Amino acid sequence: MANQENRMLIVVFYACISLFALICLIPFVMAVSGSFSTEARLAAEGYSFLPRGFSLDTYAFMFGSKAEQILQAYLTSAIVTVLGTASAVLVTTAYAYVITVKGFRYRNFFAFMAYFTMLFSGGTLPWYILATKYYHLDNTLAGLFVPYLLNVFLMYLQANYFKSIPHEIIESAQIDGAGHIHIFFRIMLPLGQVGLVTISLFYALQFWNDFYLPLLLVSEERLYTIQYMMYNMMANIQYLASGNSAQIGGAIIAPPLETAKMAMTCLTVLPIAILYPFLQRYFVRGIIVGSVKG
Amino acid sequence: MSDEALQPGKAAGGSRRFKSLRNDSSLFLLALPGVIVLVLFAYLPMSGLILVFKNYNYNGGIFGSPWAGFENFEFFFSSMDNAIRATRNTVMLNVLYMLTGTFFSVAIAIVLNELRGKLFIKITQSVMFFPYFISWIVIGAILFSFLDFDKGVMNRLLEAVGMQPVDWYSNPWLFVVVLVLANIWKSAGYGAIIYYAVLQGIDPSYYEAARIDGASRIQLITRITLPLLIPSIILLTLLGIGGMLKGDLSMIMGVTFLNPLLLPTTDIIDVYVYRTAIRSGEFGFASAITLYQSVFGFLLVLIANKLAGWYDKESKLF
Amino acid sequence: MVKKRVWSALFLAALLLLSACGTGSNNGKESTSPANGTNNESAGSTLKPAKLKIVLYGDESNRMKELSKAEFKDLIKKEINADIEFQFLPWTEYGGGKTDLMLSTGEDFATYTDTNYMVKSVAKGLYTDLTPFMDNAAGDMKKSIDDNSFTAFQLDGKQYAVPVGNKPNSGEFYSVLARQDLLEEVGMTGISSLAELEAFYDKVHAKHPELIGYASTDARKMLMYEYTDKNLFWQNDMLAIDEAAKDDKVISWFESEDFKAYAAIMRGWYQKGIIPKYAATNLPQLQSDWNSGKAMFWAGTAARPFEGAASITQAVPTAKLANYFLSKDFPKISRGTYSTAWFVSANAADPERYVMFFNLLQKNQELYDLFAYGIKDKDYTLDENGRLTRNTTDALIPDWLLMNKNFMRFDNTVPDDFIAQYKAWDDDAIISKGAGFNFDNTPVKNEETKINGVFSELLAPIASGFLDYDTYFPKALEKLKAAGFDKYMAEYQKQFSAWYAAKS
Repeated sequence: MANQENRMLIVVFYACISLFALICLIPFVMAVSGSFSTEARLAAEGYSFLPRGFSLDTYAFMFGSKAEQILQAYLTSAIVTVLGTASAVLVTTAYAYVITVKGFRYRNFFAFMAYFTMLFSGGTLPWYILATKYYHLDNTLAGLFVPYLLNVFLMYLQANYFKSIPHEIIESAQIDGAGHIHIFFRIMLPLGQVGLVTISLFYALQFWNDFYLPLLLVSEERLYTIQYMMYNMMANIQYLASGNSAQIGGAIIAPPLETAKMAMTCLTVLPIAILYPFLQRYFVRGIIVGSVKG
Repeated sequence: MSDEALQPGKAAGGSRRFKSLRNDSSLFLLALPGVIVLVLFAYLPMSGLILVFKNYNYNGGIFGSPWAGFENFEFFFSSMDNAIRATRNTVMLNVLYMLTGTFFSVAIAIVLNELRGKLFIKITQSVMFFPYFISWIVIGAILFSFLDFDKGVMNRLLEAVGMQPVDWYSNPWLFVVVLVLANIWKSAGYGAIIYYAVLQGIDPSYYEAARIDGASRIQLITRITLPLLIPSIILLTLLGIGGMLKGDLSMIMGVTFLNPLLLPTTDIIDVYVYRTAIRSGEFGFASAITLYQSVFGFLLVLIANKLAGWYDKESKLF
Repeated sequence: MVKKRVWSALFLAALLLLSACGTGSNNGKESTSPANGTNNESAGSTLKPAKLKIVLYGDESNRMKELSKAEFKDLIKKEINADIEFQFLPWTEYGGGKTDLMLSTGEDFATYTDTNYMVKSVAKGLYTDLTPFMDNAAGDMKKSIDDNSFTAFQLDGKQYAVPVGNKPNSGEFYSVLARQDLLEEVGMTGISSLAELEAFYDKVHAKHPELIGYASTDARKMLMYEYTDKNLFWQNDMLAIDEAAKDDKVISWFESEDFKAYAAIMRGWYQKGIIPKYAATNLPQLQSDWNSGKAMFWAGTAARPFEGAASITQAVPTAKLANYFLSKDFPKISRGTYSTAWFVSANAADPERYVMFFNLLQKNQELYDLFAYGIKDKDYTLDENGRLTRNTTDALIPDWLLMNKNFMRFDNTVPDDFIAQYKAWDDDAIISKGAGFNFDNTPVKNEETKINGVFSELLAPIASGFLDYDTYFPKALEKLKAAGFDKYMAEYQKQFSAWYAAKS
């Protein structure tokens, strides 16, 4: 009796999840099909699951003669994502460990110090002055990820995962005379793997998706990331399409606005959305093994 | 051994031994990289907060520009009806987002946790995460082709079943539903991943014991899974409460295109500041209101944090 | 234990090193001595070397990249002994964003601006006063650009920005740019009144219900002759002046009877579908529709019939465009013939050299051709009539920016009579009596900001017909007054009167 009930429940569960996943997938399919549609038909008929008048015009427009730069930008994005995620995960987990150590007198001090920055920020101007005039991060690779090495939200998430590790394990290690650094690298990191997988995923996305740091700090094309290139392209297309350019005497150009939005989504989101789930395990293992060996 | 230092409560009062100090110093070392990042990129730039009380000019710079007192706040608070409406809309939408978002994230995580098909879980998990990547502009464009009055899919469906077409984009309260649904769609998968990861870390022996006692699946969920998720739910809620007054301008811009007819419910603080201060080029006004949002959120968090502390000391943010 | 600590220290050191490395690679850029200062046998050699940075908005094309490192660079070096660097920013950073950050941190650069952004920036001390350099450095420019364009960018008699471009732009948006092909298809020959315009819509709508009527939400200029006897010229969203009256009176547009009449027409258009329902939501879609040949008419300018034609004919090969004025009794009003204006950042080491560069852009036909079209016979060719054929679609220095009717070239699709019409467009125009007035909003910053809120929420949708005037205007007016409109208006009138009196 109970068994049958359980089986029913499982079927319902599978159905619910499948349905929600499907709903999440629909706009994606539309975006992909939209990117292969022609602008005129898309504007006239709206989105659908199959491209409206299959065409590669939008990609041709976006790539233009820029294929080489776009490849370079993918490479920069990949480097920034790998370097950024690896170092951010270490900085974050170390900090998260510190605020979870029971009995550490300054535990709350550090927690508060991090939390406060989630709410208060001094605005872009002082940040920009410091980053360019004092830290000299403009036009450097470091400038593309160092400012984001500690995401406080993810730090709290990691701390939450650490808290679920049974305290006895830490205690017994301490009885064996292990210091915090040993405990952190040898016990917490390997045991907190689930958390690590999660925050490394979020970090990878953060670094991959960021266009703000390049916008502020980069003027040399060799350091453009793919998101920044797309942001730049989109901003310009949108500006031309909005008619604002007419106000300052602009010419009328008809960029493929709608299809370009969709193509941009495909070019930036798809690589990481498809690749990351398969890479994450190796990536996280890499971080843990690397740090334990170190 | 210094078990004093390991047990909460005792350590605070008792004398600390040399060993625990040495232990502490290694903790400082672990925190150091994070502290450096925070100081360099958050605390030092915070000196700029004084700009909010100043009339910035180039020659004076951040510190030498003349004081303006609360002048930069005036445009917002001198017309109270706007300030109140904007604050109300922001809080209303955020509360709705938080309630529905948490509910769906937790539900999905729990359901996923019950399933065993590894490939199925992996695929659906990735797919549910997709929407999180898509910018609001793109979502807005796709949504528009659903909701457009003349050509939209929704109205064609309504007509097909013999109902009146709805002018979605001129109905502010109906649009709140659209926004809430859009938010669930975009962020539920993201939240579910966080909660699901917590559940994966749970020791399976908990369940076995209960199962031996003859608990049904539903009972396992309500008695074991859900309680284990509560600390995480509290954490995410606390983190969310700090941002209670911060709205997502890009969402409203992307999804409503700042349609004036929808402003009665979509005119959140960030939108109001955008349409007044930022469009007028008064960026000083805009940062003043950001400070208002932060201070307000901070007060809320202090209260919420206290409440969480009564429930469980370990749930507190700080 | 010790080993671990060493490891952490190493990790930290690595982090710091990363940033340090970055700094290292940056040093090259900061060296101030020009690397290739050897090219000295030219007119520019009497000047000491200088470095200029020009910020432009939009995408940098590949050809622009090549030229700015080769021919442009060499030529500028030769002419004014300056090393030039072009930096491209996304359009979102125009008039704010990164441009503001660069100005606030004292970077040495120049880019273009509009009068609004200029007034605000000058108040913050972000622009260099260029007055002292105008006589010496801007000689050629003064010949090819009219005086009114210069005065438009002066504040208290000081030249804070230098106009660029010189094109007929009087009567901007005062004409109906109609799809001539559709007009002919339904048996009409022209449009000379609102009634005819609506008849045009009705007839085409009956035949092609999929087309929208008007591809914009603002028709106050093109319809002016229908709802007022005045010759209105708008100073901003809120205020207008009457060019037909010889006085200094500023008119509150929304409070006027004229606005009421205009709002009624627009409400009719919205309800009838001449302006589609989605216009309230998806404004960019309107232009998208126009560009893909899905709209009947638009607001016209001198250049629009040929500027936008290419994209429409791509979608509808038979499309033709023509400008119609609903009435021709009033003279066309011009704000000045500039496209935009260059400013120089406050901290620039050598502002005069920047002005010399601006001058170079509009100096003569040869240089204009180079900067706008590239190298002759490589990037473009000219036929015997001087018509232009470009071999690349890559934009160089944007041609809308340079566009100067003395120098600009047309391609061979533009009919001769059209060019003649275009060049003569401004002949019967008068310059606005408010041209050159720039409002200093400092005393009413708060009011202006709040008024913008009322404008975007209520007044703009009433003006476009999305909201009914009779139902919503009383509330809008109440909010407008509460926002301090009277104070704002009084301040504007005060400044305008003072300026007007000083002018005449």
